Amino acid sequence: DPNMAAVAEKSTKERLLSVLDDLEVLSRELIEMLALSRSQKLPQPGEDTQILELLVQRDREFQELMEVAQQQGKVHQEMQLLEKEVEKRDSDIQQLQKQLKEAEHILATAVYQAKEKLKSIDKARKGSISSEEIIKYAHRISASNAVCAPLNWVPGDPRRPYPTDLEMRSGMLGHMANLPTNGVNGHLPGDALAAGRLPDVLTPNYHWHSSDVPVGMLPPHHGNDFGLEPPGHNKENEDDVEAMSTDSSSSSSDSD
Amino acid sequence: CLRGAEQARNRFQSELEFIQCLANPNYLNFLAQRGFLRERPFINYLKYLLYWKEPEYAKFLKYPHCLHMLELLQYEHFRKELVNAQCAKFIDEQQLLHWQHYSRKRTRLQQALAEQQQPQQQPPPHGNAATK
Repeated sequence: DPNMAAVAEKSTKERLLSVLDDLEVLSRELIEMLALSRSQKLPQPGEDTQILELLVQRDREFQELMEVAQQQGKVHQEMQLLEKEVEKRDSDIQQLQKQLKEAEHILATAVYQAKEKLKSIDKARKGSISSEEIIKYAHRISASNAVCAPLNWVPGDPRRPYPTDLEMRSGMLGHMANLPTNGVNGHLPGDALAAGRLPDVLTPNYHWHSSDVPVGMLPPHHGNDFGLEPPGHNKENEDDVEAMSTDSSSSSSDSD
Repeated sequence: CLRGAEQARNRFQSELEFIQCLANPNYLNFLAQRGFLRERPFINYLKYLLYWKEPEYAKFLKYPHCLHMLELLQYEHFRKELVNAQCAKFIDEQQLLHWQHYSRKRTRLQQALAEQQQPQQQPPPHGNAATK
């Protein structure tokens, strides 16, 4: 198909122009010849016929080429229409792409937030404590004035938010150390207890070294022996409390 | 088996007592001055005691200030500072003030409420008004 060949073929425009050139040349020759034939005889007898034939031929070519040109014009128009269609589709696709991207973003955010919510639900569940226990505990630490001072507290009152000297010595650890309960070790300045006055009888019966420990309650297993003699509650006496230096392997391993 | 359970209970009780003693800044000063807070096994023990922060153990603590002290004791800087008696005294004072905070607040609220309900019948005691 000659129209498909690329570089070798001349374009329709070129061909049309070249045919027009030919027509121009031929017409001029014919007119010159006719002008000449008025005054002289024709140099060659059949030349005018030749030129006429050529003219006719060229004209026929011209007409054909014009038709071709028209066809090509139509095709070109179609191409333009199609190109416009393609452009429109392209922009449609881009629009869809944008919307999909947005949707993806929104969904990703939603999924992320849902995951965060699940995480915090999990966390809350893990940390959940029965309200009864919390209330019990709150009562325990406030009724005993452990976290809030009694309303009538004045300086000189022996009560403290920590176990006082006497309390420490009356506990299990203190008893293990076999400490004398007299004597002031003086590291509680202003502490009436250290001066040997009455112990704190106002505290409700929440022992700070609680005896209401359930039987199954165990401290966590500690694999290494800390290798220490725990400090006593009296300056002088430091070789006490054997329980702490017990080898851990015998303690919590065989609990039932 | 019984012996093991008893030992475990003893250990529990002694640790319960010991950790609450840590709420007492004077005791901490005592420990620091005797060098306990510098010993590696003791420091390890303090880290081990952090299990008392868990709710199932914490509910046995009567003196919850001890947990805060335990957390602070994890830091070397704090342990070092406790050697100073002034440091311990300062902590003690601040602790007592904090302890009194809620009662003071409650007292103030009660006073404010009482003042609101009382109509103003007397001129203010420090008034410089030339009323009479």
